[in-house]
Amino acid sequence: MKQVSGIELLDLFPRQTSGVMLEPTGPCWPRTEPEFLMTRYVLTVNGSRHDVDADPEMPLLWVLRDRLSLLGTKYGCGVGVCGACTVHENGIAVRACQTAMIDTRGNAYVTIEGLSPNGTHPCQQAWIEEDVAQCGYCQPGMIMEAAALIRATPNPTEADIDRVFRDHVCRCGTYTRLRRAVRRAAGIVR
Amino acid sequence: MSPARPTRREFLQSTGTLAGLIVALRVSDLGADAPMDGFDPSAFLQITPDDQVTLWAAKLEMGQGVRTLLPMMIAEELEVDWTRVRINQPSTGGRFAGLDFHTSGSGSSSSMYRALRTAGAAAREMLVAAAATAWGVSPDSCHAERGVVTHAGTSQRATYGQLATAAARLPVPKTPTLKDPSAFHLLGTRVKRVDGPAIVAGRAHYGLDVRVPGMLVASLERAPRLGATLVRFDAGAARQVPGVKFVVEVTRGIQPAVAVVATDTWAALRGREALKVEWAPGRQSDFDSNRFLDELPQAFARATYKVRHEGDADAALAQAAQRVEASYLFPFQAHAPLETMNCTADVRANRAEFWVPTQTDDRSLEQASKITGLPPSAITVHCELMGGGFGRRLYADYVAEAADLSKTIGQPVQVFWTRQDDMRHGYFQPATAEQFTAGLDHAGALVALVHRTTGSQLTIAAIHAGRNIWTTPVDPLPPDGFERDQSPWGAYDNPYEIPNLRVDCADVTSPVPTGPWRAVEYPSTVFGRESFLDEIAHRVGKDPITLRLDLLPHRVKQVGPYSIDQARLARVLEALRTRVEGLTAPRPLPATNRLRGYGVSANVYHGRSYLAMAAEVSLARDWSDVRVERITTVIDCGRALNPLGLEGQAESAITWGLSATLLGKMDFTDGAGVQSTYADFRVLRMDQMPALETVILDSGAPPSGFGEHPVPLVAPAVANAVFAASGRRVRRLPITPEAIRIA
Repeated sequence: MKQVSGIELLDLFPRQTSGVMLEPTGPCWPRTEPEFLMTRYVLTVNGSRHDVDADPEMPLLWVLRDRLSLLGTKYGCGVGVCGACTVHENGIAVRACQTAMIDTRGNAYVTIEGLSPNGTHPCQQAWIEEDVAQCGYCQPGMIMEAAALIRATPNPTEADIDRVFRDHVCRCGTYTRLRRAVRRAAGIVR
Repeated sequence: MSPARPTRREFLQSTGTLAGLIVALRVSDLGADAPMDGFDPSAFLQITPDDQVTLWAAKLEMGQGVRTLLPMMIAEELEVDWTRVRINQPSTGGRFAGLDFHTSGSGSSSSMYRALRTAGAAAREMLVAAAATAWGVSPDSCHAERGVVTHAGTSQRATYGQLATAAARLPVPKTPTLKDPSAFHLLGTRVKRVDGPAIVAGRAHYGLDVRVPGMLVASLERAPRLGATLVRFDAGAARQVPGVKFVVEVTRGIQPAVAVVATDTWAALRGREALKVEWAPGRQSDFDSNRFLDELPQAFARATYKVRHEGDADAALAQAAQRVEASYLFPFQAHAPLETMNCTADVRANRAEFWVPTQTDDRSLEQASKITGLPPSAITVHCELMGGGFGRRLYADYVAEAADLSKTIGQPVQVFWTRQDDMRHGYFQPATAEQFTAGLDHAGALVALVHRTTGSQLTIAAIHAGRNIWTTPVDPLPPDGFERDQSPWGAYDNPYEIPNLRVDCADVTSPVPTGPWRAVEYPSTVFGRESFLDEIAHRVGKDPITLRLDLLPHRVKQVGPYSIDQARLARVLEALRTRVEGLTAPRPLPATNRLRGYGVSANVYHGRSYLAMAAEVSLARDWSDVRVERITTVIDCGRALNPLGLEGQAESAITWGLSATLLGKMDFTDGAGVQSTYADFRVLRMDQMPALETVILDSGAPPSGFGEHPVPLVAPAVANAVFAASGRRVRRLPITPEAIRIA
């Protein structure tokens, strides 16, 4: 691997603007104070009800992560093409990044934290048995997808597995073990 | 703090590798966080009187398994119950002051193998010595197992916790006795990932999960085109978005940017949407990657850098009975790890803290220090679990941005890259090309090979050094720049015995920021070399495995620093042949009536790991669809320390290679990255996954690492299989149905 011996140009991009816009800073993290233009939502997650004041367009993903500190639901793409943010909406796998708060009314959500009390869901057990995860970042979304699949289709075919996981990305390439884990989990459920 | 402590902070000698530094025990540096009566004979190991054994992973975890494998090395020699050890990830400073955990080049297992075992063995000998002294017996009559020392004659026993305080007063033995590998009971077994339970419960904590009191979140609008500069920005609408606190310039990343800083991620993203920024194009802002790739073959004419010369290739070529010539192209590639780039920084007047998922705590600290103006000793870098690394986290541009921003606003802030930011504004695998000319004698034997290759400087290094690569392009390398670097990998260390070999290189550094990508330079050179050998095999009517074996006369070939054992490469090829014989046997066509073929490839990674691969593909008869059905890989990467992890890395590296072979590439038009998400930068999905068979040939050689090693073999194996199936030779990645049609 080559190193480039560069001259020291300490200011990489000389600042073009003189004005740094500063505003009074308020309470920051996690944000608790309602902001203007917000709507109040009653959000049911993992069996608990939360009052959330949010922009109606705000994706459920950011409410889970930034307001409710449920960090197991991951950001991967923000546009619904990677599956990392998969949660259950009334038992169905959905993408939290594509679920606006305005569409959450009346629904019950479950995240990876609520899938089982202590990591004992058949999918979680099977995942450990098959040693599926590598970096693990995509795996909560994968497990939520698998749990929804097996609930709806207790005996999934290979085509069923392909159909739902086609919409998930794992850059570490755990697909081979993932498939084995889904089969194993279905076996545990049966 | 006990006065005896300094005597334990000694340097544990390892076998002349840099790893010795990693378990360095420094007299001057005391672990301030170590308990008074604890036993800390190495920075990476602690035993407390309550019998808690804590091991630190000496490298950074990105999915490759170092949190599991490296502590296994200590535990094996220490003789503790693996199920009861606690494993931590280190941060800079404190008990690790002066150490770094830089993680790259598939080097963790090989570089740490002796050092960490030595640390564990030294600790075990000290615990045994403490027990023997207390009991008035010889250490040789004591036995350590599962955290307990026993004496056979008197049935006395003491736990490591009970012995910790006494052991802490003893000197650290410099050359403890290491086990013979035949006595291993942990290394060599199939051990599951230690963070598996946390991952499946959603409790694994990544960089983006860092939460610091008072933390703001920033989303940065970066220069949209290469070399573009900021003219002005209008923050008026952005500041109306609820939650937006600051709109400021950030000048220290790869590209200039305007940051919208808000109380949470969504507010930052909304604010950024409302931001108006005007950019001025730079000299390089019309860069077009397709044009660059089309023109790359012109670079062969200026391949004036010597890489490796043996014999007289030109003379041999002039006398050859026949010539074969071909060239190959490898496009730009993005890393696209699932966790986007991020860094959380809290820069104060006299100190700073960073929380960052990174492969390089050292470069993170260096960037942080340079930008904050604080000495490294005033900065702590917390190394977070990475949601994928693949080389993208081997430089620290996101740390630079966070340092710059937190220093400006005076508050803790998390710099959050969106997927689109991550895809377009990082650094990339350079686009490169290979040209081969072979001279064959009358019998079809390869007597001369001229390989004109291309190499790119990794310009992220220059950016880190403070250079604007668009206004001040990097200097050309000196005439021996490639040869001295043993670069390009795969061209320099071509493992075959070729009587007359000439490898020359052209520098094709482009305005695209470039940096290491999984397997670095091997993917392009090995794609070319192993495809070309297949072309020769078909030309002379030889089996492609036989052709390679004929070029491997079982010598240990010394190429610069690399001792390439041709016998080991021949052995994996021979093992592969027994595995693929079934593929060549006549058999009924499957019902789908698709075209089928298989292809092979081989490579040696830095003289250490020896691999051979066979890919079987099927094609629709109209070539409208190509599918990789099966990949068989035979691996000799020395002793297999955790076969379960090793197979996982093979699965990972093959999937990575397949994405680049079949789907992925990064394009630039008008200086702007084209692909923006996984919708257009396509990566392999589960339904495209072939059956994988991984065969580990444990040669007993020292472990040589593995995380990247299968990547370069995938593209040529698939390209060769496609040729076998269709008669179509694809010499430019990715191998799409369209590429097969026009080949």
